[in-house]
Amino acid sequence: MNTPSPKQLFIGFSKIGISGFGGVLPWARRSIVEQERWISSEEFNALLGICQIVPGPNIVNLAVCVGSRFAGIRGAFASVLGLMLGPSVVVILLGMLYEHYSYLPAVQGMLRGISAVGVGLIAGTGFKMMRNEYSFPPMLLVVAITVIAAGVFHLNLGWVVLIASPLAIFLAWKKAKQA
Amino acid sequence: MSALLSLFLKLSAFSALAFGGINALLPALYDLSVNQEHWLDTRTFADFFAIAQAAPGPNLMTVTLIGWHVSGVIGAIVASIAICWPSSIMVFFLQRYISNLRNPVTKQTIQFAASALAVGLVLGSAWDISQQINHSVAAFALTLIAIAVILLTRWHPLYLIVIGGILGVLGFI
Repeated sequence: MNTPSPKQLFIGFSKIGISGFGGVLPWARRSIVEQERWISSEEFNALLGICQIVPGPNIVNLAVCVGSRFAGIRGAFASVLGLMLGPSVVVILLGMLYEHYSYLPAVQGMLRGISAVGVGLIAGTGFKMMRNEYSFPPMLLVVAITVIAAGVFHLNLGWVVLIASPLAIFLAWKKAKQA
Repeated sequence: MSALLSLFLKLSAFSALAFGGINALLPALYDLSVNQEHWLDTRTFADFFAIAQAAPGPNLMTVTLIGWHVSGVIGAIVASIAICWPSSIMVFFLQRYISNLRNPVTKQTIQFAASALAVGLVLGSAWDISQQINHSVAAFALTLIAIAVILLTRWHPLYLIVIGGILGVLGFI
């Protein structure tokens, strides 16, 4: 395993950010685990688990975790800055184009098509993540409750978490003891 | 100035509640930025979502674009910082705490519970946001096809985005 400096973290996460079409996570894993060999595959999963517990953008959380693990607070800043800078410049340039050309029916149609696909990508990722729950089927009840509370009843997020977490923690405790 | 301050405070509070990542929170982001704060209208929100999906980078670029729409480049920077800082500080300390936990059952209980909640939130969000931005049978069909392709093939998502864009330009969606 290699130990990156803040500068190397900045460069590494810049590459991850700018190559992450349709979601950054697959690229992050490929780069951090397979190419740069900063951390092992097992450690990556554990870090990602922690990043998903905390609210906020998971991929930014991951940059904080990886960056601070190797170079403390400076490493965390270098990683997050690298991740955000390139993509921000790209979307702002696209936003400027949008302001000038959004009246064109072709542009409107294109964006409708892309957003329909975009929702499908999110749902597809959700279904893929759900595969991890099949090893302990009772947990699917938590998934169902959360989907219904958030998606169908449009409950406020705080309420959704409050309603679902007692059962989630109880079942997670059973699953952990079983493992 | 008050617009920037409100952008910063509202998005910071939003970030602190954003369990399951930004995609799980799209409906809440929509509610905040369109219904409550009137930073932008429904169509612009859907279009910014599309631009962020089509561009490289993290999904939170939708938030960066909203900030840019409210007050230009400064707004984009303020929005991006606001969406990152609360969770960054939390995860910085939580990582240390969890890696120091000795009891593996406690550690796994936390991770299993969080992962089930995250799955539910992502799927619920996809359900919710699809009702907001899809306005035709063809758009829903395209969403379903994208789900099927993601689950059944190893296609790169970029191909789907390109196909969606082309179908849209041709007037099918």
